[in-house]
Amino acid sequence: MTLWSRVRSWSHTTFHRSRMESEMDSELRFHVESFAEDLVGKGVPRQEALRRARIEFGAIERAKEECREARGVSILDEIIQDLHYGQRVLRKSPGFATVAVLTLAIGIGATTAIFSVVDAVLLRPLSIKDPSKVMYLQEHWQDIFPGFSVGNFVDLKRQSTSFAALCASNLASFNLDTGELPERVDGEIATGDYFATFGVPPIVGRVFSSEEDQPGQAQVVVISERLWRTRFHADPSIAGGVIRLNGLPTTVLGVMPASFDPLLNKTEMWVPARFTAEQRADHDDHYLNVMGRLRAGVTPAQAQSELQVIAQRLQQLYPLDDEGRTFQLQPLSAVLLGDQRLGLRLMLSAVGFLLLIACANIANLQLARSRTRQKEIAMRAALGASPGRIVRQLLAENVVLGLAGGVVGVFLAYWGVSWIIAHGPAEMPRLDQSRMDAGSLAFAGAMALLCSFLFGLAPAVRSASARLNEAFKSSSGISGGGRDRIRSLLVVGEVSLALILMVGAGLLIRSALLVSHVDPGFDVSNIVVGRVGLPDPGYHDPNLAQHTFERMIAAASALPGVESAAVVSRAPLAGGGSSNGLLPEGKPFDLANLINSQLQIVSPNYLSTVRLPLKAGRDFTPQDTRDNTLVTIVNETLARTMWPGENPIGKRFACCESGPKGRMDPVWHQIVGVVADVRAWGLDRQVQPEFYIPMAQMPSSAWDWIGRTMDLVIRTHGGALPIREVQSAVASVAPSVPIYRLSTMQQKISSTLERSHFDTFLLTIFAAAALLLSSVGIYGVLSYMVAQRTRDIGIRMALGASQSRIVWNVLGLGVRLALVGLGIGLLGALAATRLLSTLLYNTSSDGRNHLCCCVVHPAHGGAVGQLPSRSASDARRSDRCAEVRVKMEVVVGVRIRRAEV
Amino acid sequence: MDKQLDLLQGTLDMLILKAVSLGPLHGYGILLRIQQISHDRLEIQQGSLYPALYRLEHQGWIASEWGESENRRKAKYYRLTAAGKRRLQAEAENWNRMADVIAGILGTKPEEV
Repeated sequence: MTLWSRVRSWSHTTFHRSRMESEMDSELRFHVESFAEDLVGKGVPRQEALRRARIEFGAIERAKEECREARGVSILDEIIQDLHYGQRVLRKSPGFATVAVLTLAIGIGATTAIFSVVDAVLLRPLSIKDPSKVMYLQEHWQDIFPGFSVGNFVDLKRQSTSFAALCASNLASFNLDTGELPERVDGEIATGDYFATFGVPPIVGRVFSSEEDQPGQAQVVVISERLWRTRFHADPSIAGGVIRLNGLPTTVLGVMPASFDPLLNKTEMWVPARFTAEQRADHDDHYLNVMGRLRAGVTPAQAQSELQVIAQRLQQLYPLDDEGRTFQLQPLSAVLLGDQRLGLRLMLSAVGFLLLIACANIANLQLARSRTRQKEIAMRAALGASPGRIVRQLLAENVVLGLAGGVVGVFLAYWGVSWIIAHGPAEMPRLDQSRMDAGSLAFAGAMALLCSFLFGLAPAVRSASARLNEAFKSSSGISGGGRDRIRSLLVVGEVSLALILMVGAGLLIRSALLVSHVDPGFDVSNIVVGRVGLPDPGYHDPNLAQHTFERMIAAASALPGVESAAVVSRAPLAGGGSSNGLLPEGKPFDLANLINSQLQIVSPNYLSTVRLPLKAGRDFTPQDTRDNTLVTIVNETLARTMWPGENPIGKRFACCESGPKGRMDPVWHQIVGVVADVRAWGLDRQVQPEFYIPMAQMPSSAWDWIGRTMDLVIRTHGGALPIREVQSAVASVAPSVPIYRLSTMQQKISSTLERSHFDTFLLTIFAAAALLLSSVGIYGVLSYMVAQRTRDIGIRMALGASQSRIVWNVLGLGVRLALVGLGIGLLGALAATRLLSTLLYNTSSDGRNHLCCCVVHPAHGGAVGQLPSRSASDARRSDRCAEVRVKMEVVVGVRIRRAEV
Repeated sequence: MDKQLDLLQGTLDMLILKAVSLGPLHGYGILLRIQQISHDRLEIQQGSLYPALYRLEHQGWIASEWGESENRRKAKYYRLTAAGKRRLQAEAENWNRMADVIAGILGTKPEEV
């Protein structure tokens, strides 16, 4: 017999079932009727002939059944049959089915939701051509990784042969004036190779060429699809049109597709960098993002070694700027998404644990059920079902459970994903692209099936292999010692997994509590902050820029309800900033002696406006102009770093500009004051050395460093946010210049904590769910064991055992299981702590949290154990147990409360 | 599919193969032809005929198609496939060998032992 005919016959059976059935019918009918006709031909009356023909033929249904069998029974048929049966069995025990489906739905739902997020944020390739070929390049100096200086980038591009395209870009924002409200739009300035590097064509028009990226060329811009739709009504004839950007007429060349955002920065427009000859010679300002597409056949390692050679050459050419400076290359995706990896993997393992706990619970329930079903199964075996068939039958029942759980779980996940998108941290790239797509559904389906096998296989195999005679005499309740071991193992596993989750959540909660108590360093209440960027063409003159900001401060101060107003180049917690290398007076000029410090340019009343406490010396005054001594105020960290143990007042350092005799001619700034440290990069971040210089003394080139952009900081007397008033105050001074990112300081603080709060919240929910599920698990096992030992207990009580002794006996069992679980869980928790440490604020070596979780866990094991142990003892004296339980709960409650404090 | 010689089933299969080797037949026709060539000496359970046909078709030894019967009705006709032809030959040889052996055994006289 050929394989082909078998396949054909099988596929026929499977896919043409109804046709085959009707054919079989008519074939058999033909037989009977032909036979009857022959009889009629022999003189038998028609009715009688038909009757006789049927009798001669025999049982027609059995013949059909044998025919179906002979044809080869379809595997699909059997599976469908099994699933039908499984569903019928489950409907007969709705309580069990509901609990199991809900438990599974929680596990599968959480896992699928987190998977969808991980898929969107981490797994999906960047939407650029051949993403693995695109590298991100950084400078490496001392222990920081700054961007490239224009000079270094230009030299690198000229000398390197490893890249098919190499480009640089810098984030910038632009004032877009389309006749309605002026708007600040986030964009990038980019070099001519930018679009070639990412290999994505525009959907409308064209991108700019390298020729257009030359100084003196016409103003052009490429815009994003989003901007095109929101501000230009998706006008297809936009290419070639002119818009006003930073007050200048600018030609729109084309529109990039919505998916194109290679630096994941929500960039809305790209403007050619058009570096001037002066910028190209500058090796000192390090701020460029540099990206390159590797030439075909060049490995990242080869490119890295070429970078090494070029860096050494530049070190010799420009020792003043590039001494000790090397270049480093990483895949772009690693740079952009690397920060997200730890947190998301953490979530994924947390939900994985939750799912495992859910599976262990259902396995336990199934084990309990399989005991009561032993007789049914034994009967089926006695009637000739093979062990394999019985295992398959029981597995099918589990698959029905798993699929039902999966379906409910998908709904949960759907809701979960939209919740995460709505409440997730805004800084997480691509989070908004998470959705329940085919991949997520496939994942949920795979999880459902995997779970079915996980929680179904052990009970099924066990049931099928149980010896028949044992099953039939099993009312004695003696069997099942081995099964108890499995159940205990499952409970131990559940407890340890739940403990790991609890410890993790506990650590994050403690860390969040600690962070919330961190002193930001200044009075954050009643402060409103917004950014104002003066366009270069209109406000190129440094005096005009300074004057405009001063008038803006005056206008804002005059608003009702405003106590004072000031400007600062980067308000605390607003993100970003620029840093400079400072040379303390008395040390030779050498890169190694420079101290890297954050620069803040401020108006004279800034420190008093934000109430930043002065620790020594004096505040700035309006008299601190360029006609007088250049002065500066440093924070305590910088004072400590630069002159440890000395009084810094009156000392000087060089920075920011050079004197008339060139780069070796230092310009000294005298320290007149020391202020408290400010947590400028987030409450949970290290304080950086920081120095303040008055706006009236800043070098004119510094206006370019900060892009003529300042944060307007306004302290109010409280009450409603004067947003409208602030906007019109700014507009009254600088028409068509918007104030953007306007929010309170409190809001800025919470947005920097968004991510860690989000992680904490999710993990806490997962841990709570895990605790709940594992409690159900312990409860289930104990009540099962008690039920099994009822006779045993009865005999012991008849022999004089006291009730309390029996209660403690059962309780002890629960606590013992929990303790073993704790031991294992603690080891896991220690490992998890190490993993978590980078997400934690200052919680490193603290055993209290672990201890607290350990106390809660067996105690709840004990408390849960109360219920079955009570049922084990006589109802008359169960008040004793209640007493025990109350004591226990008091202990647990107190510990929990103490931990919360 | 080298089953042990299950006499009854094997015999029916072989007879069916032989019957359709003489020309395509529908199920009832096969029954009639076997009765005819055996001179009615074989009693065939009609109900067991069709499972055997389906089994033989599943194994690829016969093939079927719908046609019109002599009394102008739609009927399913079976014919022998090439594989069926080889199978029939093998079975016939097997049967003859077996019959010889059995006959030899049954014909043995005491003095020949």
